[in-house]
Amino acid sequence: MSVDAGTVTGRRAPERAQVGDLLRRLAETLGIVAIAGALLLAFGLTSSQFLLSGNIRNIFVQISVVGVAAIGETLVMLAGGLDLSVGSVVLLSEVICADLTATHHLPLSVALLAALGAAGGIGLLNGVLVAVIGIEPILATLGTLLVAAGLAKLILGLRYLQVDHPVFNDLAVTNVLFNLPIMVAVMLGLYVVVSIAMRVTPFGRMVYAVGGNRRAARLSGLSLVGVTIAVYVVAGVLSGIAGFLNVAQIGLVSQNDGMGLEFQAIIAALVGGLSVTSGGVGRVERTLLGALIVGMMTNYQTIKGIDPAFQQAFLGGLLLAAVLADRLLRGRQ
Amino acid sequence: MTEAAAPLLRITAMTKRFPGTLALDGVDLVVERATIHGLVGENGAGKSTLLKVLAGDYKPTSGRIEIDGEEIEIATPRRAHELGIGIVYQELSLLTNLSVAHNISLGAEPTSTLAIDERAIAQNAARALGRLGVTTIDPAQKVGKIPLAERQLVEIAKVLTLRQPRILIFDEPTAALGQADVDRLFRIVEGLRDEGVAIIFVSHRYREVLRICSRATVLRNGGVVGEVACASTSVEQLVELTLGQKVAAAFHRTWRSEERGEPLLELAGVHVGARVRGVDLVVRRGEIVSVCGLLGSGQNQLARAIAGDAPDVSGSLRVKGAELVPRSPRHALRHGIALITENRQEEGLFPDMPVRSNISISSLPRIVVAPLLRVINARRERRLAREVAKATGIAPRALSRRIRVLSGGNQQKSLLARWLMRRAEVLVLIEPTRGVDVGAKLEIYRELEELARRGAAVLVVSTDTPETMALSDVIAVLYHGRVTAVFDPRAVTEQDLLLAMQGVSKPVEAAV
Repeated sequence: MSVDAGTVTGRRAPERAQVGDLLRRLAETLGIVAIAGALLLAFGLTSSQFLLSGNIRNIFVQISVVGVAAIGETLVMLAGGLDLSVGSVVLLSEVICADLTATHHLPLSVALLAALGAAGGIGLLNGVLVAVIGIEPILATLGTLLVAAGLAKLILGLRYLQVDHPVFNDLAVTNVLFNLPIMVAVMLGLYVVVSIAMRVTPFGRMVYAVGGNRRAARLSGLSLVGVTIAVYVVAGVLSGIAGFLNVAQIGLVSQNDGMGLEFQAIIAALVGGLSVTSGGVGRVERTLLGALIVGMMTNYQTIKGIDPAFQQAFLGGLLLAAVLADRLLRGRQ
Repeated sequence: MTEAAAPLLRITAMTKRFPGTLALDGVDLVVERATIHGLVGENGAGKSTLLKVLAGDYKPTSGRIEIDGEEIEIATPRRAHELGIGIVYQELSLLTNLSVAHNISLGAEPTSTLAIDERAIAQNAARALGRLGVTTIDPAQKVGKIPLAERQLVEIAKVLTLRQPRILIFDEPTAALGQADVDRLFRIVEGLRDEGVAIIFVSHRYREVLRICSRATVLRNGGVVGEVACASTSVEQLVELTLGQKVAAAFHRTWRSEERGEPLLELAGVHVGARVRGVDLVVRRGEIVSVCGLLGSGQNQLARAIAGDAPDVSGSLRVKGAELVPRSPRHALRHGIALITENRQEEGLFPDMPVRSNISISSLPRIVVAPLLRVINARRERRLAREVAKATGIAPRALSRRIRVLSGGNQQKSLLARWLMRRAEVLVLIEPTRGVDVGAKLEIYRELEELARRGAAVLVVSTDTPETMALSDVIAVLYHGRVTAVFDPRAVTEQDLLLAMQGVSKPVEAAV
């Protein structure tokens, strides 16, 4: 076969690109690690309390709820969607769990299953609204946000529920690795499992494909409906788990739990380098770094006694900065 | 040269270089006022590049543009507009949920004390449509509700109201029109000419070019190969000029099926929307069948319908003998039908995924450890990807790179590799070598032949006639949504084929 011309071009172009590819991949991961490291250093130097092991433990405990919820949010965003219902689902899961154990005295396992079922159910509803009926993700999940929050408040009434089941106490108190409690280990474990799953399972591939190019995914024979529903269900279930962790951490369930959590999850994903300009780009494990960065900043500001109102504005600024950085880095391609 | 003697538009030695290609190579073009000037050439000859330079979308590498003898630069679309250059694109720019009147005034809404002046908008529309002699369009009607042919008239009206154009360019204006609409459009174009506008008429339909233009410039491979006076030129001469020594001539089939394979795909009376109107076609195992037609003859809709990617399909479609109208690409793929469209970037690639994952995405069940253990066996994926990459001529090193950094040719080969790994039996391709360099073109032809040899049925939709001549076993010509001729490419000249595509019937029927 005389195919010289093609082989030559096939050889020339990618060679330069290979180095570029490698640098880009390094820069993306190392960049976020470097930012986290720089913050750690800066905060450590300017605050005598920041680097104390008790405070580091605090940061991890504080981010574990958001961290778990952000895993699901990352999957949804990787597939080109958005889930605003995360925080309400956390609340719903907490309320079901607390109500069944504290008020109805059912075994914890039943309560957990019921809570996960409800959380997954809201996820399923999200998926069906978006994929089958074709409602914009932001609107569909805004609707389910209100539905889930309303349901939760209906069950909870005007009270708050105290949960002092030993399992929950263990989650928050018993240390397993270094001096970190079980709930942090649960979060880290979920990150490990989902990160690996996204790399080695067909599901992971399909999520990236659907987020990367919907038309191409459809013509490649993938089920857009199936993949979309799956990511929303996974996000729902993970929010349910985040709810358990929140109960464990606080020991109380009240009406305002989970409020605004979806925004923190979205910010963690974006700070972790998930791209909104070109879909299907981002890594689950980087969302953990994003959550850590956000957690460190919040913690530092609290130590320094900065007004929570300002902290909120700062978080908003961080979100815009992350989106802007994504524009600048990827907009050119 | 005095100003009075200068032509309205003079382009001299226009060159536009893209990385790896020379799109325009020293083009000269002169258009006088009050004339209609044709611009013809095959796909890739440079017509669209030239238009984009005039529209201010592309900056030329070198060359001069003069209007009324004065050298000018068209740096932006806004500048083109200020200079009085108007373009009516083939893909219309109208907003379908706005009324005709609002579309006509879009971007230049007349205002009276802050609010948009609805009455002025209605008057504008009435004036513009009236100037075109169009009385059948209700300016209050939403654009989405009126037929395509009338939308085009609205587009023209819009171009006319924004600023009095001195130069008006029509890009394939008749691709979507029926005969009566073409006649009406031509009357309007002639009317504009008589008002003194210089008109550039870009079309693949040579009969129409000869009918309406006074002169025509023929482009080939980015250069001008001739300028003719239309009154003394025939369709045949024009066809001859646009041909030339082509890449595809370097390709020769080395294998053809000895016996006629079983039919894998049988179409009878297939309709797709309004474009495809009763197509009969058979594609057999081991065969490469090309569907040729001018732009807008319905070939793309037909190809998409076969692969489950078109709405409104009716008629009989049989795949391996079984009646089947695919509901979706996924459904079509389950029966072995795969599609590669003309929009590689939008519809084929996952730009940020490695080439390997781009190839294996449609064969995920083949690379999992076990049907119930849905984990990818990386070794099997690498092995299978290497196999199909080798068969399609992709360098193994390219497999781990993001596909967006590859050349167009290698990207296209990756899509072929995707369907090879999926073991598609019926492969449908639309313009398979668009935007692909010469060497990769030959490799793609070779690979399609190889696919056929392994027992696939290949259906190619292409407007590149030399390509179809060299590649196919059978050529079906589509004209206005129907198959009007079926050729054996070995027993027919390219000229006959081009004439058939233009609707000039010459009964050179070969057996199917």
